Amino acid sequence: MSQATTVPVPSAAANEFNPFESMARNFNVAAEHLGLEEGLREVLRRPDRELTVAIPVVMDDGKLQVFTGYRVQHNFSRGPCKGGIRYAPDVNLDEVRALSAWMTWKCAVVDVPFGGGKGGVICDPRKLSQGELERITRRYTAGIMDILGPDRDVPAPDVNTNEQTMAWLMDTYSMHVRRTTTAVVTGKPIALGGSRGRREATGRGVMLVCREAIKKLGLRPENSRVVVQGSGNVGGIGAELMHREGYKIVSISDQYGAIHDEKGLDIPAVMAHLKKTGKLAGFPGVRELTSAEALELPCEVLVPAATENQITSKNAERIKARLIIEGANGPTTAPADAILEKKGVVVVPDILANAGGVTVSYFEWVQDRMGYFWTEERVNNSLEQIMVKSFQDVDAVATKYKVSMRIAAYILSVDRVASVYKLRGVFA
Amino acid sequence: METIHNAPNVEYDDLAPSSRSLEDESPFATMMASFDEAADQLGLDPDLYALLRKPDREIQVSVPTAMDDGTLAILEGWRVQHNAGLGPYFGPLRLQPTLRVDELRALAGWMTWKCAVLNIPFGGAAGGIRMSSKSHSKVEIERAVRRYVSNLLSDIGPERDIFSSDLATDEQVMAWVMDTVSMHARHTENAVVCGKPLNLGGTHGNADAIAQGMRRIVRHALSHAGLPQQGARIAIQGAGRRGGNLAQLLAEDGHKIVALSDYHGGVWNEAGLDVASCVRARVEHGDLRRSKSRFEPVTQDELFTRPCDVIVPCAVANVIHLRNARTIQCQLIVEGAHAAVSRRADRILNERGIHVVPDILATGGGAVVNYFEWVQNRAGYSWQPKVVQQRLEHFMDEAWAEVHGLATEHDARLRMAAHMVAVRRVAQADRLRGLYA
Repeated sequence: MSQATTVPVPSAAANEFNPFESMARNFNVAAEHLGLEEGLREVLRRPDRELTVAIPVVMDDGKLQVFTGYRVQHNFSRGPCKGGIRYAPDVNLDEVRALSAWMTWKCAVVDVPFGGGKGGVICDPRKLSQGELERITRRYTAGIMDILGPDRDVPAPDVNTNEQTMAWLMDTYSMHVRRTTTAVVTGKPIALGGSRGRREATGRGVMLVCREAIKKLGLRPENSRVVVQGSGNVGGIGAELMHREGYKIVSISDQYGAIHDEKGLDIPAVMAHLKKTGKLAGFPGVRELTSAEALELPCEVLVPAATENQITSKNAERIKARLIIEGANGPTTAPADAILEKKGVVVVPDILANAGGVTVSYFEWVQDRMGYFWTEERVNNSLEQIMVKSFQDVDAVATKYKVSMRIAAYILSVDRVASVYKLRGVFA
Repeated sequence: METIHNAPNVEYDDLAPSSRSLEDESPFATMMASFDEAADQLGLDPDLYALLRKPDREIQVSVPTAMDDGTLAILEGWRVQHNAGLGPYFGPLRLQPTLRVDELRALAGWMTWKCAVLNIPFGGAAGGIRMSSKSHSKVEIERAVRRYVSNLLSDIGPERDIFSSDLATDEQVMAWVMDTVSMHARHTENAVVCGKPLNLGGTHGNADAIAQGMRRIVRHALSHAGLPQQGARIAIQGAGRRGGNLAQLLAEDGHKIVALSDYHGGVWNEAGLDVASCVRARVEHGDLRRSKSRFEPVTQDELFTRPCDVIVPCAVANVIHLRNARTIQCQLIVEGAHAAVSRRADRILNERGIHVVPDILATGGGAVVNYFEWVQNRAGYSWQPKVVQQRLEHFMDEAWAEVHGLATEHDARLRMAAHMVAVRRVAQADRLRGLYA
């Protein structure tokens, strides 16, 4: 077992493709700018609490199998911990630690009153029945019950978990505490205290920060060509919203490849085609290319909204966009970042650009606590206020410290967490 | 307009067995039959529906109460909690000499469906003490209520089970409940009861909540039935908190209130009554017919059979029944009392093409404003009367849109569609949460 820090064991000295190492480096740079004392840095590197639980489950064939689950609470100085629970065969404690720290920084950038947390269960959901998944979820919840709660730790869906998983978690918690407690988890179905506007929250956040960023670059939607990588909840919805705002979306991609039309794609038609056929390829009247090639198309805005490590030291030189909005987590590697900065490309970093999701999760928690539910319009307006203000906050820090927006976002969030920590003092 | 705040609670007596129906159809049988039919139409899993028909929990408590003459009376109390799929339990607390547990069971179930139609995050409950509020002194009632509440402490609370006022439980009784819970909790816990006095955490808009909600529903229903938004001839049975307040609101909207009634009988004026004067006569003299408005006296039966556009029965159950359903001459009925239209009458009206807006949707304003009271108590922040009004209208509009949409989609009558909306919402929540074991 490695040491309990949020930096995973490095497999090579400096691995360009390990996004957690990049995050740790960004943290160090930010701490340096802020002149944080070493003790405080160490506090912020280490998770406040880690819990590993055994999850015995009777499988459908009658045999007992024991799964392993984790919940890591990175930092709860700013409020209850917030972060997803993922079910995957390759879940490991190092990764959960790193992701929990990531959540601390993300919540602090948008200034929602949460600390970071993350959880996971080592299992392969494709090989499990619904009944088995439900029993795993309920037993895992019971196992981590003592550190959960609307004022302690509020999980959310992540890889391979969904609304149904959150409903089971909420029900199990509620039965234990003898009252319906919807605020213990977010990402619930609307029928059980979910929030309106959550499905499109991340995509909407991407659209909103893009609007602020192009304003700063002196661009207007009508004369901005946009390349979107990804067509799911972030890329697809982001593209639809940006299309509605008047941007010319020249390319969009899915896991199989990309499509391109210099004159701009009819995004609603493209999404309808994707829904019908399950892939983008075959949409009439467009050029098909690989999604790696699409990244290098001439455009003003590039929105990588698929997976990590898409813009690397190998292709960064050929990127033609003036602005990159990171819809995915960690799509740009650190060496690529340096190249882009030299070329003068503005990168709006992931912890700001895709924070729309956690922001609406926060709204869900607020609504559950008061038991009164907002209209979609109110959710969207509140989201807009937070995204615009966060962009401006990060931009002001970037100007003040003369750093990239990525480093500025880390400076802002580390400062917010550190100053709260200092105010509260060391509890003994 | 002069809002009626306190009226004899007779209007709320409509779920009591004392209102024996002419055809021996109990209001509960009427209600449950509709729900069975709705579940059937939705193709609901029979196991899931079987679960929804039974209460989650029933608590019976003995309520030993010292009488003023020094003797001890052992009263009986119950709380039935029907379904917590959507949130904490919520429902009436009543003092009634003829209280029966099976009636509470049905009432608790009914509250679950009512909250679900209106999209309020509560499940249904009902409870009370078997006692007559008339044959006991105020202090005896206070002791009984406080002891009853003490016995239920571990099962009630703002996030477990919330009381609303009902038969013989006025603002004062709700204040005692709140005080008892608060003293045990060691902090003021006002969100445990709704219908409190304004200065103890009550909400604005409580007095005429049902009437305000009905006004909104009447507006939608008029369009639905192809009637004009002004100048409709409306006959209202009742003249108290529901009927009286509603009559004033609809008159303000430009409609002609052709009839009102109270315990003594009805008043009719084809050209429209002077509603304010009638309501004042009822409040001041307890008799509508002392009003200076022009009217001709009519019996309750005549009120239902004379020609008009809309009938709004706001008094007791089963007033439109097998025997008058064929002679009714209106195009729209909006139920202002529980089960005002009997089950068989409902079928006849449907065949005759008369639209009926069901009680569960039309009278939902009361539950909505109770829910607002709970939200405000939890936030510790009171809403202005205008905010309460706007939000109430929003809830009624949404509920109407959902019921109307489902009615169109399934080609079902409004009553069936309302019940389908409710069953679907509760069943969906229960299915998502799964069976806890």
